[in-house]
Amino acid sequence: MIKLPEVQSISWSITKKSTRLRVTLTAALTVGLLIGGCKNVPPVTSGVGTDQMAPGQKFEKHLQVDNPDLGKKLHISDIRSRKNNSLLELNLSLTSTYKKTQHLQYQFTWFDADGFVIEAGKSPWQPLELNGMQTASLPGLAPTPQVATFKIYVREVAEQYFKFAD
Amino acid sequence: MNKLIMITSVALTLTLVAGCTNKSVVRYGDANAVETTNIEFGSTDLQKVAGEMTDSLLVSPVIGTLTANSRPILFVESIKNKTSEHIDTESITDSISTKLLRSGKFRFVDMSRVAAARKQLDYQQNSGMVDPSKAMQFGKQVGAQYMLYGNLASIVKTNKDQSDVYYKFTLRLMDLESGLIEWADETEIRKTKEKEFVSW
Repeated sequence: MIKLPEVQSISWSITKKSTRLRVTLTAALTVGLLIGGCKNVPPVTSGVGTDQMAPGQKFEKHLQVDNPDLGKKLHISDIRSRKNNSLLELNLSLTSTYKKTQHLQYQFTWFDADGFVIEAGKSPWQPLELNGMQTASLPGLAPTPQVATFKIYVREVAEQYFKFAD
Repeated sequence: MNKLIMITSVALTLTLVAGCTNKSVVRYGDANAVETTNIEFGSTDLQKVAGEMTDSLLVSPVIGTLTANSRPILFVESIKNKTSEHIDTESITDSISTKLLRSGKFRFVDMSRVAAARKQLDYQQNSGMVDPSKAMQFGKQVGAQYMLYGNLASIVKTNKDQSDVYYKFTLRLMDLESGLIEWADETEIRKTKEKEFVSW
């Protein structure tokens, strides 16, 4: 007979607690939404690559990592070049250091002896599915015999979703 | 407590109304970037096919011999579209012939403009309007030595969770005099589309 009110009071305090928790959670979510907003996020277009380099140069000295997150998942492990039918042919080795498949795109940009871009804006990004820990060998062929230097860039395939901003 | 709940609900409503309005925005994009709008044959596929075929042709040893001392004359026959989609295959051959021409190793004759060229020559020769000493002559055109032709085929499979499309593009170079195939190559593209179970 004495215990009943005690039980009641306990259950009341639990309900009060869970209500408070729910309110706090809702408030936190609201603040998160307000700060984050809900909009079209511009895709991440930075990646890893090389600066302008000539065939035969040591590629290690020309590497640049603009996107450290992507730089942790893959790296350029080799760049080879040769002349084939008077055109410069490249072989880019890209090694994944990440266990999952990555959806990437890569591009070669070609320059003549004076540093001018050859076929400006006509070098398409090539899609690449890089499996976990895989090393892919990617071919590149200069569009004209006048090519003296080149540049390589690798980035993720930009998927623009309607989502919360980072 | 009531105040807190009220503030929260007002804030939530505001967020939903203000934060998630759907506005359409027009932007210029990169024509060369990888495009994954849907599974159908797209600009990335066209660029990939044209680029790989041109590169393969330009580095092949046979072509090295053919182009060592001369610039062979080619004509592009059509690419047959054997896929289930409507694809402008002339756009693929245009890209390939432009790239080959710009490499400086080949020359082309364009069979799709023969009628227009004939009309112009006819005008120069027979209209009486053009100085006969400066009019272009009939019968001076150069014939093509090689013919470039090919096929584009596809295999499409779908189930309720995913669709898969496989494209195979074959290109061949035929010596018109001997009928020999001097060069051939094919390139493949696989694209899959999966349903997302959780997405924002």
